[in-house]
Amino acid sequence: MKKTIALALMLLCAFAVFAEGAKETTATTAAALKIGMVTDAGTIDDRSFNQGTYEGVKKAADELGLECTYLRPNGTTTAEYVTAISDLYDAGYRFIACPGYLFAEAVTEAQKMFPDLMLVILDSEPTEAGANTVSIYFKEEQSGFAAGLATALQLKDASVGFVGGIEIPSVQKFSWGFQQGVKYANENYGTKIAMEAQNFVYSGSFADLALGQQLANTMYASGVDAIFAAAGGTGVGVINEAKNRRLAGEDVWAIGVDVDQYLVGDMGNGQSCILTSAMKNVGEGAYAQAISAANGTFAGGSIITLGAAEGAVGIPADNPNLDDDVEAKVLAVLADIAAGKLVVADTADGLHK
Amino acid sequence: MAKNTVKIKKPLMEIPFIKSMIVSLTTVLLGLIVGGILIIAIGKNPIEGFQKIVFGAVSNTRRVGNTIAYATQLILVGLSVAFAFKTGLFNIGGAGQMLMGGLMASIWAHNVTFLPQPIYYLSLILVAGISGAIWGLVPGLLKAKFNVHEVVGTIMFNWIAYWIVYDAVKVFIVDPTIIVKSKPIPMQQSLRTEWLASITQHSYFNIGFFIAIIAVVVIWFILEKTTLGFNLKAVGSNRYCAEYAGIKVNRSIVISMGIAGCLAGLAGLTYFLGFSNIMEIGKSPSEGFDGIAVALLGNSNPLGVFISALFFGMLKMGKGSLTAIGIPTEIADTIIAIIIYFTATSVIIQGFWEKIIKKHSEKKLLKQAKEEK
Repeated sequence: MKKTIALALMLLCAFAVFAEGAKETTATTAAALKIGMVTDAGTIDDRSFNQGTYEGVKKAADELGLECTYLRPNGTTTAEYVTAISDLYDAGYRFIACPGYLFAEAVTEAQKMFPDLMLVILDSEPTEAGANTVSIYFKEEQSGFAAGLATALQLKDASVGFVGGIEIPSVQKFSWGFQQGVKYANENYGTKIAMEAQNFVYSGSFADLALGQQLANTMYASGVDAIFAAAGGTGVGVINEAKNRRLAGEDVWAIGVDVDQYLVGDMGNGQSCILTSAMKNVGEGAYAQAISAANGTFAGGSIITLGAAEGAVGIPADNPNLDDDVEAKVLAVLADIAAGKLVVADTADGLHK
Repeated sequence: MAKNTVKIKKPLMEIPFIKSMIVSLTTVLLGLIVGGILIIAIGKNPIEGFQKIVFGAVSNTRRVGNTIAYATQLILVGLSVAFAFKTGLFNIGGAGQMLMGGLMASIWAHNVTFLPQPIYYLSLILVAGISGAIWGLVPGLLKAKFNVHEVVGTIMFNWIAYWIVYDAVKVFIVDPTIIVKSKPIPMQQSLRTEWLASITQHSYFNIGFFIAIIAVVVIWFILEKTTLGFNLKAVGSNRYCAEYAGIKVNRSIVISMGIAGCLAGLAGLTYFLGFSNIMEIGKSPSEGFDGIAVALLGNSNPLGVFISALFFGMLKMGKGSLTAIGIPTEIADTIIAIIIYFTATSVIIQGFWEKIIKKHSEKKLLKQAKEEK
């Protein structure tokens, strides 16, 4: 017993010495801004949301010669997000980008805890307005519209489907926009694209590759020619299935989401199974905020919605699988949307879920 | 006491608890050494790195509070896995049992608002414990009756729980603003309290920690001081021998899985109503699997589980501070993984220490013998 106590005391002393050495070194001088980001569920190299945001803040940091890093929290509870934010804060980071609706609670808490921290939240807003948070939303429906239009014009006579992640507004708006885009093409350009209700599904997960592949397999087997995959990692499963089927000689396609996913669909022979991607430029949004934070023009408390007018949504600049005239038509329609001549609804009126 | 009794000094390595503690500390040390080599490999200073982890875990009361909050569910899941281990069962259904315990407790918390505080807490513990216990009992029954391996059974039940939560959250406790999570539970209905939050600068420290401590004591008592515990351990050491001795093996399996499930259900309670205050659909807590590591490092001993859960809590809480000096936080995860690998080789480590101590005592004896001459 004595030995145990002695051992415990020894350990305690050792820790005390350790902790002493680790005392916080607070920088008193006004150091350069450090730019940080906390990742959402998923990894930094998800070729989607996290990666897009990080590339945005990294670009800003590189241009201005600032320090930049990201931190992956232990999990996706508010407690873990707040911990990650405070870890970055304690390490001297005063600008933190938080991509994803899951951050709403955490950002609300963090903005109260750290009044001098500049926070950016994408796809959501804090539950109580705070003077140091900028919230950014995107008009996903416009992006989905452009992708739907491009798909319809390219395939002319086909059947299309949709695989979503979890049924959250940002994913739903992609689906609704996509359907409106296809309808628009059917009505104005005489295409014959079928959209059946059973081919518009939500997988319930952003990270289930096998499930995505399975859903895509069922759809392609039932005669669907192109699937719009707005489901993160699950969507990569859809893309893989399209890849396999194309390699086996079938004429099927997948449509990417968030970023240009052309390379995700690379089949190893210089071709890709990605027809086009419904892009939502999270990187640009984060980039602009990081720049203004460094310049001292950070407009905390504001809520920004980025759409075609800001050039934040649309299809990639380069689409090797689309005909030139299709691209031109889509760009013209996007210009109409940007100018407000054409309105894409962000509701499910008369559409599949 | 009688002065003339001869005090027989047991060699240190023969006291089971000390032995397993030395082995565990060695594995931790080895894990840290390898982690340190990795940090050197990326061109950083490992001492500074470890200091940062400790700094991140204990540098102020908020961080200490959060470290304990992380450890709370690890203690309970660790106990759950350890308890099943003692009966020779491998409970990897911690995640599902946590989900069910958390789900039922969350629904309870949203609807039962009329009970006085102490009774309310007790009711929460009962609800979560029973739900978790059912989620452990059924795989136990399947194992006992139909010889369905408990690993298969519990994994299946993880998925059943995952999808039940997926639908039940939407039906019963959905957040109207976003349908993928439940409404936040108000503080007075959760395990968080104003007082605990105020003494720890609004950390997530909650009364779940005290539930965990009580559970450690109760489980120690069951295992060491009751016939039930003896029976369960006998089944774990050799089920055929136990059967021969008249112990009902199948009954023991079901009871063991039930208690293990109950503990994981309580972990779900502390996780979803203390550490967090919402339930998300489409997520299952990684703590269910971390519990296996905790139980391994703690050598399935209740006190060992408690200590190793605190250690893992420190690593989890502290690793974020590594970013301050540019070390990727994945290093901390790697250290955890390496420690688990070394725990798997504990027999070798044990042998190593026994050899050294034997040599040492032989030398001593020789010396004594020489002196006597």
